[in-house]
Amino acid sequence: MKLTSSCRGGRLSATLIFGLSLLVLQIVLIVFAPLIAPHSPVDADPMNILKPPSWHYWFGTDVSGMDILSRVIYATRINLLISVTAVVIAFVVGVPIGLLIGFYKNLLSTLVMRIFDFIQSFPVFVLGMALVSVMGQEIWNVAIVLAVLFIPMFARLIRAEVLSLRDRPFISAARCSGATNLTIMFRHILPNAMTPAIVQVSISIGMAILLTAGLSFVGAGVRMPTPEWGLMVANGAQQMILGVWWAALFPGLAIIISVLTFAILGDAVKRLAEPTSRGEQ
Amino acid sequence: MILFSTWRSIPRSMRIVIARIGILIPQMFGVMFATFLLIRLLPGDPALLMLGNMATPEAIAALRERLNLNGTIWSQFGGYVRALLHGDLGTSMFTSNPVTVDLLQRVPATLELITYSMIFTVILGVGMAVTSVVRKGGWVDRGSRIYGMAAGAIPDFWVGLLLIYTLFHLAGVAPAPFGRVDSFITPPPAVTGFYTVDSVLAGDWAAFRSSVSHLWLPVLTLTIVNAGGLMKMTQSVFADIYKSEFIRHARASGLSERTLVLSALRNSLPPIITMIGFLFGFLLGAAVLVETIFAWGGLGQYAVQAVMNSDYPALQGFVLVAAAFILVVYTAVDVLYGLADPRIEI
Repeated sequence: MKLTSSCRGGRLSATLIFGLSLLVLQIVLIVFAPLIAPHSPVDADPMNILKPPSWHYWFGTDVSGMDILSRVIYATRINLLISVTAVVIAFVVGVPIGLLIGFYKNLLSTLVMRIFDFIQSFPVFVLGMALVSVMGQEIWNVAIVLAVLFIPMFARLIRAEVLSLRDRPFISAARCSGATNLTIMFRHILPNAMTPAIVQVSISIGMAILLTAGLSFVGAGVRMPTPEWGLMVANGAQQMILGVWWAALFPGLAIIISVLTFAILGDAVKRLAEPTSRGEQ
Repeated sequence: MILFSTWRSIPRSMRIVIARIGILIPQMFGVMFATFLLIRLLPGDPALLMLGNMATPEAIAALRERLNLNGTIWSQFGGYVRALLHGDLGTSMFTSNPVTVDLLQRVPATLELITYSMIFTVILGVGMAVTSVVRKGGWVDRGSRIYGMAAGAIPDFWVGLLLIYTLFHLAGVAPAPFGRVDSFITPPPAVTGFYTVDSVLAGDWAAFRSSVSHLWLPVLTLTIVNAGGLMKMTQSVFADIYKSEFIRHARASGLSERTLVLSALRNSLPPIITMIGFLFGFLLGAAVLVETIFAWGGLGQYAVQAVMNSDYPALQGFVLVAAAFILVVYTAVDVLYGLADPRIEI
C-alpha cells in the first residue's frame, strides 16, 4: 500500500511501529515465558505472602505468596490465547455467514439477522457471564462464548459491504461471463468486502481481552491458580483497601498495555485501509 | 385504506410509541425463550447439578418437578411463561427466597448507581466532545485524544480499585467501600428506593451525606470508563455538523457562538441518543463488576453470587431482568430518536 502524504505516512508508521513493537514484546513473553519469568507462576510460598516489590520479587507477591511478575508474564499466554482464539472463531464463522446473508435475500437471511439483533440486544457482559457459568468455567468455554458474542459483529460488517457490492457492474460482468454464485461470492465479492472486518479483528481482540479479564474477575472465567490477569486483579482486590497496591496494579497495567496494543494496531490498519476502501464517499 | 387513514390521524408521537411497543412484545418473548434455554445449556441434568452427587432420586425428581423440567420443551416453556406472568422467577438455591423478591429488593441500588453514572457520563462525554471541537487544539482537545484512547483500554474494576486505594486508603476522603451508607446510619424509609432521594424526602441529612459519600466513588469509576466512548462518538458527529453549511450560514448571519453550538448539538442528537441507549447496556455490565468491588448489594452483586454458588434460578432471573430492562431502554431510545428526528417515517 502506497501512502501519498509523507507527513501522514510518517505519523502512521510511527504509531504502527509502536503498536507492532508492543505486539512483538507480548509474543516474546508468550514464547519465552519460562526463560523470562524469574519464578514459577503457580508455586505458592507461604513464607513470602504479600511482599512488596523488591529486588527479589520485582512486582511483589500475592496473598498466597506467588510471584506477581512471573504470573503477569505467564498470563499473557492465557489471556491472548483466549482472546485471539475467540476472535479467530468469530471471524471464520461470521465472515461466511455475513457473505451468505448479504448475497441471498430470503427468509432465512432475514431470520439470521433477527437472531443477531437479538444476541446483540443483550448486555454483552451479562450474557457472557451467564453463558460461561452455565457451560462450565474452562478456558475453551470462555473463548467459545466470546466467539458467539462476536460472530454477529463480523457477519454484519461483511453483510453491509456485500449489500453495497452485489449490484455493481463488475458482478454483473462476472455473471455474464458465466461465473457461478460460489465463484462470484468468494472470488469477486469477498476480497472487496473484507477491509472493515479485518480492521475489526484487532479491535475485537482488545475487547475480548477486557471481557476475559472481567469474567475472571467476577469468578465466571478461568479459576485459580491459572495465571490470568483479571483473576490476579480479583485476587489482589481485597488487599487494596489495606494498602497492598501491587497485587492488583501490575496485572491491571498488563491488561491496559495489551488492549492498547490492539487498539493502536487496529487504528493503524484502518488508516492504511482507508485510501483504498470502497463504498464510502 | 380506512385503517391507513385512521393510523395517519393519530398524532405522530403516539404513532411512534405504538409502533415501537408493537415490536417490543415479540422481543420480550424472545428474551423469555433465551433465558429459558439458558438452563438447558447446562451439561447434564440441572437438578442433579444443583443438588450434587449425594442427592436421592426422590429429591432429584422433586426438584425436576419444581424446576419444571418434565414434559416436552414447549410445555416446559409454556409453564415457564405462565409462571413469569405471575411474577414467579423460581426460588434462589442460595438465599431460599423467591428470586423475584431478591431482585426487587436489589433493583433500586443498581438503578441509583446507573442513573447517576449515566448523568455524569453524558455531562463529561458530551461536554468534552463539544469543547474539543469548538476549541480545536486547546488543552481539552489534546487531553480528549489521550483520554479517548486510554478509556477504551482500562478495565473498570481496576479503576475502581485504584480509586479505593488512592482516595480511601491514601487520601482518606472516601468512605470504606462497603455498601451504600455507613453501617451506623439507618437507611431512609423507602419511597423511590434511591437513598439520595429518600433521605432528602425524609429530611435526614446525615443519611443523605452518607449515601452521597458512598456513591461518588463507584459513580466516578463508571463515569471515567464509559464517558470515553460517548465522547469519541459525539466528537465525530458534532464535528461534522459544526462544519456544515447551515452552521456556517448561521454564523455568517451573526448568531452568537452559544446559539451555534446549541443548534449544532440539537442536530447531532439522534446518534447521541442511540449511543446513550447502548451505554445503559454497558453500564449494567460494568455495574456487575463495580458493585462487587464496592459491596453495593445490587443486582450485579447478586448475579456474581449466583455465579459463584451455581444458583441457576437466580442467574436466570437476573439475565431476564437485565435483558428486559435493556429492551425497554432501547424502546425508549427509538421513541426519542423518532421524536428528535422529524424526518423518520412512521
